[in-house]
Amino acid sequence: MSTWYAMNVVLVQTTLTTLLLALSIQVPLRFGVFSFAGVGAFGIGGYGSAIAMVHLGWSTWPAVAFGAVVAGLVVFLLGLVVQRLTGLYMGMATIAFTLIVSVLAVNGGDLTGGAMGLYGALGEISVLQILLVVLLVVALLHLTELGGMGRRVDAVRDDPELANALGVDVVRYRQFSFLVSGLIGGLAGAITTLLRSTITPAEVNFHLVILALTAIVVGGSRSWVGALIGAVIFVWLPTWIGFLAEWERVAYGVIVAVAAIYLPLGVLGVAKDLWHRFRTREERARVAALAKES
Amino acid sequence: MQDVLNATTLGSIYLLFALGMALVWGTIGILNFAHGATFMFAAFIGHLVTARVELPLLGVIAVAVLVGALISVLTQLLAFQPILKRAKNRHAAELRILIAGIGVAAIPLAIAQRQTRSTPFGLRSSYSPQVYEVFGLRITTTAIIIIVLGLVIGIGMTLWLRRSRHGLALRALGVDAETSAGMGVNRTTLAFGTMAVAGGLAGLAGALLTLQLGAIAPETGDQLIIKAFAIIVLGGLGSMAGTVIGAYVLAGAETLVLVMNWGTWVDAVSFGLIFLILLARPQGLLGRKEVRRT
Repeated sequence: MSTWYAMNVVLVQTTLTTLLLALSIQVPLRFGVFSFAGVGAFGIGGYGSAIAMVHLGWSTWPAVAFGAVVAGLVVFLLGLVVQRLTGLYMGMATIAFTLIVSVLAVNGGDLTGGAMGLYGALGEISVLQILLVVLLVVALLHLTELGGMGRRVDAVRDDPELANALGVDVVRYRQFSFLVSGLIGGLAGAITTLLRSTITPAEVNFHLVILALTAIVVGGSRSWVGALIGAVIFVWLPTWIGFLAEWERVAYGVIVAVAAIYLPLGVLGVAKDLWHRFRTREERARVAALAKES
Repeated sequence: MQDVLNATTLGSIYLLFALGMALVWGTIGILNFAHGATFMFAAFIGHLVTARVELPLLGVIAVAVLVGALISVLTQLLAFQPILKRAKNRHAAELRILIAGIGVAAIPLAIAQRQTRSTPFGLRSSYSPQVYEVFGLRITTTAIIIIVLGLVIGIGMTLWLRRSRHGLALRALGVDAETSAGMGVNRTTLAFGTMAVAGGLAGLAGALLTLQLGAIAPETGDQLIIKAFAIIVLGGLGSMAGTVIGAYVLAGAETLVLVMNWGTWVDAVSFGLIFLILLARPQGLLGRKEVRRT
């Protein structure tokens, strides 16, 4: 166990940070907002924490908190600005926002280190600490999937007019989803950066958007469990199958396209469907048996 | 003056690229994210073919146009058509089409990156560009071809869409797909035709840009997608004339930024434009008011 752990510690770290990044895009999707701002928040959080450590000399966790809060605030303000947009327009505006973050980082001079990026922001973060942060985030998100809150979120996504008529403040909920997305994305960026000790503008690119989106689309977009499945699949699959490691990016593309066409609710959706069908059959058999007895 | 000429050449490339995307999005309502990959891969196949046989200019262009059209039709057949068939409503279909497009785009990009090891590739042809000097302005034959083709196809497409019967059918699809299908517009056939034309235009733009610059990198297509989106939003969705104007405005603005020596900010122009237009005038410069379908 301990040798396995020592060999794969980097993969475990990557799984956890990928999960956070995927969640930052999944949260607005669950509220019916097609926003990729979480990836921009990843960049802001990464730069924020690196700047706090390198220029301000802060220690690890205050720097992470700083990055996450700044990212949360910026994305929340973005949400206020773009809240009138819908569907594809929202998606493209937030992709533009993400890419602007990268252009700003290139032009940030000494503060962001320009195109070369920032170096030497090595934080002291143990896997246990990341795990605790992820557990906290997931626990909070789980609350939004349960009971009345879960049903309100579903209504905001699937039928905003109905939700409005039922007294759910759709606009407020969606603004909130931007804030949460920014905070989680910022956390992901800050932790990733301080683990690797560097961040460059080239990292905040379109490929990161695709990675996060892939994890959610394949895993399932309705629950944090889906994001976890996606993160695990995409971090571990290339290590299990050598063939995939070579054609990794081609495989990503094929998997995303196939999942978008045939499995709109992802692996989790299929699993739930099967479980539901199984339960229905069992229930029917039980009812039939009861009917026979009487 | 030389800058104006350069801006016009750049604008014509943008125009050829964006026209196809605008046509598909404005009529059959598909935002094809694989358009950039189609553009790049058409030029890449041209590169592979011309590495074996030397072709005249027309031959190179014909290869690229055919490959572009083929990729585009395949994307429609294998990805978008099944989604449209399976999706419950327009909104869900739009998002799944965007995601599938991102997935499809990753496949040719990954293949080209693998083959070229992410280095730029060029086209070999028996044609060699001449340089003319008119009134102290330097212009190559390639630039002349690009400008003339851009203007002719741009204006031709605008007129064709306004005057011809097929143009009417396409515009009707863009306004209300179900009603026009009920009036005898064959949606599936027109969708394939439109996608083929769009792919052909992408291939044309790919070949011409590669000839103009000498070589392009596999990632060029991704950047163009965002620029084309800015152009379409600027001109107004559904308006070809708007796309023509948008392409030259964006090229002019980017050239201005370059001339002012703010080179690293060039990418921010298109991202910023998307933001400004979506917030200030969401229907674009020449767009219809009711164009925003949610």
